[in-house]
Amino acid sequence: MYRYDAIDRDFLADRAAEFRGQVARRLAGELTEDQFKPLRLMNGLYLQLHAYMLRVAVPYGALSPSQMRAFAHIARTWDKGYGHFTTRQNIQFNWVRLGDAPDILDHLARHDLHAIQTSGNCIRNVTSDPYAGATADEADDPRVWSEVIRQWSTLHPEFSFLPRKFKIAITGSEADRTAAKVHDIGLVVRRAEDGELGFEVMVGGGQGRTPYIARTIRQHLPASRLLSYLDAILRVYNRHGRRDNIYKARIKILVASLGAEEFARQVDEEWARSGPEADLPDTELARIRGAFAPIAFEALPARSEALESAAASDRGLARFLRNNVKAHKRPGYAIVEIALKAPGATPGDASAEQMDRVADLAERYGLGDIRATHEQNLVLPHVKLTDLAAVYQGLSEVGLGYPNINLISDIIACPGLDYCALANARAIPVAQAIAERFADLDRAENVGELKVKISGCINACGHHHVGHIGVLGVDKKGEEYYQLSLGGSGAQDASLAQILGPALPADAVADAVDRLVETYLALRQDGERFLDTYRRAGMNPFKEAVYADAH
Amino acid sequence: MKVVTANRLIDGEVVFWRAGQWVERFAEADVFAAEDAERGDEAVQAGKDQPTLVVDPYLIDIADGPSGPAPVSYRERIRALGPTNEPDHGKQAEGGAAIAALQAATGAARSTGRVDLIRRK
Repeated sequence: MYRYDAIDRDFLADRAAEFRGQVARRLAGELTEDQFKPLRLMNGLYLQLHAYMLRVAVPYGALSPSQMRAFAHIARTWDKGYGHFTTRQNIQFNWVRLGDAPDILDHLARHDLHAIQTSGNCIRNVTSDPYAGATADEADDPRVWSEVIRQWSTLHPEFSFLPRKFKIAITGSEADRTAAKVHDIGLVVRRAEDGELGFEVMVGGGQGRTPYIARTIRQHLPASRLLSYLDAILRVYNRHGRRDNIYKARIKILVASLGAEEFARQVDEEWARSGPEADLPDTELARIRGAFAPIAFEALPARSEALESAAASDRGLARFLRNNVKAHKRPGYAIVEIALKAPGATPGDASAEQMDRVADLAERYGLGDIRATHEQNLVLPHVKLTDLAAVYQGLSEVGLGYPNINLISDIIACPGLDYCALANARAIPVAQAIAERFADLDRAENVGELKVKISGCINACGHHHVGHIGVLGVDKKGEEYYQLSLGGSGAQDASLAQILGPALPADAVADAVDRLVETYLALRQDGERFLDTYRRAGMNPFKEAVYADAH
Repeated sequence: MKVVTANRLIDGEVVFWRAGQWVERFAEADVFAAEDAERGDEAVQAGKDQPTLVVDPYLIDIADGPSGPAPVSYRERIRALGPTNEPDHGKQAEGGAAIAALQAATGAARSTGRVDLIRRK
């Protein structure tokens, strides 16, 4: 894990002190709200429906136990005892007082955390693979490159006032767990045939009111040229992005209007102006890479008879192993996913007690490493097989042992109209209703991988465009209605979901999802996921199932 | 009928205008009838003149529900109550008849709630 140095720490302390002064001036009336708002947003502080909301950056989703405990402390001391993990691997606190915000930033700074660039038209926190360093199929550890980009982009003077916000995702694995193709820039780390490390560079993906899948503009960018190439992309965007219309200001609109080839040509032209001196020196890369030095894993047997015996007599553990435990690159270890999606839970919410427990388990059994996922879950990336039963037990004691990763109840949902000032409809109760409908885990496992993603407005924080089943809350003649769409994917087989039909009232959504699932089960062929069956069979059978009564 | 609402500067709490003060309970808010529209506008202006107390005061539509007046919009009812996923959080935690009246109100979502929403955009 990357550790801040004295310069980083001094800077964060200064920044927190600066914000304390700005808050004092606002409260004293020396700053108007119009003057203060951009300052608080630069520190991640939004004003939502009920209170201020503080969004804290979790760089590429990686956390130490002490950082997780810092979140627990904030939740207990200055919030209502919980935090909300977001679809960008960050955490939000929903009940923050403006007067407390400086103390919270101080506390974060003491744990090498901050809320800088979690808002505003700048380069936001980099999304990366929560399995980084633990999965066998990665060409390189994407955290190294995420950290390179974090350091390059933090407070970058040229890119602090872009036409619109800018989000980058990096995966080192072909199995994309970052939704790279719906980011402004998606990077896939790969080795060329000659072994040279590089990136496939995809640009112009995004969701919101105009969704696009990113287009590849360079198949193999040598890794050593990453920063100069990113500079070139950002410069073309900064120069030509639509500052006149907020709805057309994202890079996806520019790439779509120019065409990917012309955009790539302009990037190459810009890139030619900068030499390798614009790139990261090898010594700096080596320094950063050193923070992610390979772990000295123990030589362990690939199987644990004790675990298998425990699972044979404990159905809950067996199900947890089937659904929440993923293959690790080293024999005798496993990746553990922790679902923040138990029945009745708010997707992504974790209580202070739960956060503390995850920190304890990471420290005791997980080599002190915790990840947040963009699907609003947590991960312990390095757990010995022989410790899995204890981890499951420890999680279950605080309501975190629910074994539904990638199942239909493992739903992404934005905060929606329950919290968000932008929302048109609620998302959380709809997620809860669907999860309750599929609370029978035997049935949910029979259905298999099915990603439901719910947004409370067109801004699509709940990733509904890339849900196998997407749900978008709309305001229809003054009532909450929900538009269903099918066939999206945010993974390596990315696609945009297509609208199923007219929007449905809130109480009809779970029924409709049930009918979609039954239709899939009736149609599916061997080994097909819901998404595969939809892609083979098309929209019609699903549409007929949901709207049959309307004819 | 209309009510003036805002968020309190120091903590973001939802507040309502009542006789020159800001109160936390919707049930205690001054209600401006159609014929008193000017007084509602004056209250908004008075709020804007208190920038160290509140942020962004604005008028909302209210209507008589089954158990008394309530904001027309779902969004404003959520502001007056708290999030529906956490019934112990926000103003709804207090309980009582006034809260029950808001919870009993139905109809309308965000778009019709904030009187000047479109113009402000």
